[in-house]
Amino acid sequence: MTTSVMPEPAKRELTVVKNAVCTFCGCVCDDIELHADHERIVETKRACNLGEAWFKNHTAEHLYPDALIDGKEATVDDAIEAAADYLHAAHMPLVYGLSNTTCEAQREAVWLAELVGGVIDSHTSL
Amino acid sequence: MSCTLGEVKNRADFIIYWGGNPAECHPRHFTRYTLTPKGKFIPRGRKDRTMVLVDIRETMSAKAADIFLQVRPGKDFEMLSILRALVKGQRVSPEGVAETGLKLEQLQDLVNRMKAAKFGVLFFGMGLSMTRGKHMNSAAALTLAAELNAFTKFVAMPMRGHGNVTGADVIMRYTTSFPFGIHMGRGYPRFNPGEYSTIDLLVRGDNDATLVLGADPGATMPKPAIEHLKRTPTIVLDPKVTHTSRLSRVHITTAATGITAPGTVYRMDEIPLPLSPPLKSPYPTDEEVMRRIREAVQRKEPWYPVKSDAPQMV
Repeated sequence: MTTSVMPEPAKRELTVVKNAVCTFCGCVCDDIELHADHERIVETKRACNLGEAWFKNHTAEHLYPDALIDGKEATVDDAIEAAADYLHAAHMPLVYGLSNTTCEAQREAVWLAELVGGVIDSHTSL
Repeated sequence: MSCTLGEVKNRADFIIYWGGNPAECHPRHFTRYTLTPKGKFIPRGRKDRTMVLVDIRETMSAKAADIFLQVRPGKDFEMLSILRALVKGQRVSPEGVAETGLKLEQLQDLVNRMKAAKFGVLFFGMGLSMTRGKHMNSAAALTLAAELNAFTKFVAMPMRGHGNVTGADVIMRYTTSFPFGIHMGRGYPRFNPGEYSTIDLLVRGDNDATLVLGADPGATMPKPAIEHLKRTPTIVLDPKVTHTSRLSRVHITTAATGITAPGTVYRMDEIPLPLSPPLKSPYPTDEEVMRRIREAVQRKEPWYPVKSDAPQMV
């Protein structure tokens, strides 16, 4: 099983990222050394057990459908239009979460909430 | 009053963790920032620091502590109030002290140590801010730290959980002037936790659509809230198909923050750090999808009345 997933060590070309940033917990450690092949991270130097699990749990594989509408596979374009329709039609839409994402996306979220006249809230309120 | 973790590393000789278990939830907090590193004014590292843990049970973190104070569950506010009184040299009632499950000598010793510290830090976790008393507990902890500044340098810092929740506070603060729980329905931001906070909205069933970004409320929220997410249109952006995705009308798979998606995240002391993702995702980033949804909404008729000569939102 392992051999079919992992290429032979000699053939594997690893990208090494030094001082990588771990976003699992609020510590946001920025001294992690990551070794990755094209699809997955194989080594996480200096990361704690939570960080290691976080890095190894996400891959660059296409494991999930691009988008789902009512549980059926759809294109991203259609899903974006459907999302915009729902948010635009709502009287009081809510934009929620914002933890596990970048500041750039959070800014867009604030803009979207303003545009649709909705509520914006994060995990802080829990 | 707060500071950066770099200041803690270089200066703090007295560290309190209250209602948190960093040994298991923030495993590198001790070794990177607070306890073991040698700092500019802390030449001997761990030997020059004293650590106190206040919690309702003896967690893994208690092993790292010099002093462990086991407070009775739900009595954090009472304990903080007694500490504040002792800091000011006021008398406290023995019944009040007994209620916290601790002895007066223990509390007086803690106060003496806090006052004698050169630079003290109070880290408080969800065990303080999310239990009985909630934001009143956080307020009491912050006030205690502030009042100690009459005697020495003392700061307080919340132990933030999920990666970039600090970033969410910062971004919302500088865009809307409020940190969370903001309603834009009047065209300007209004802040009212309890009314505009997610759980309350969902449980009451106030909102009629939800966009979930970087969270999985379907796995963590109370049942009435999840029922409301099911009943109304829910849109989810996530690197995986989550519990919330399964009860949503629209799910869009996005790149994972910091692993396949670039950007900026804030550390718990509000230091922004740029990400360096080692992998390339087959999916678009949160930022790109959010921008495209926003642009799609912008192409529609605005929900508010617009005069033809009024400046347009760009």
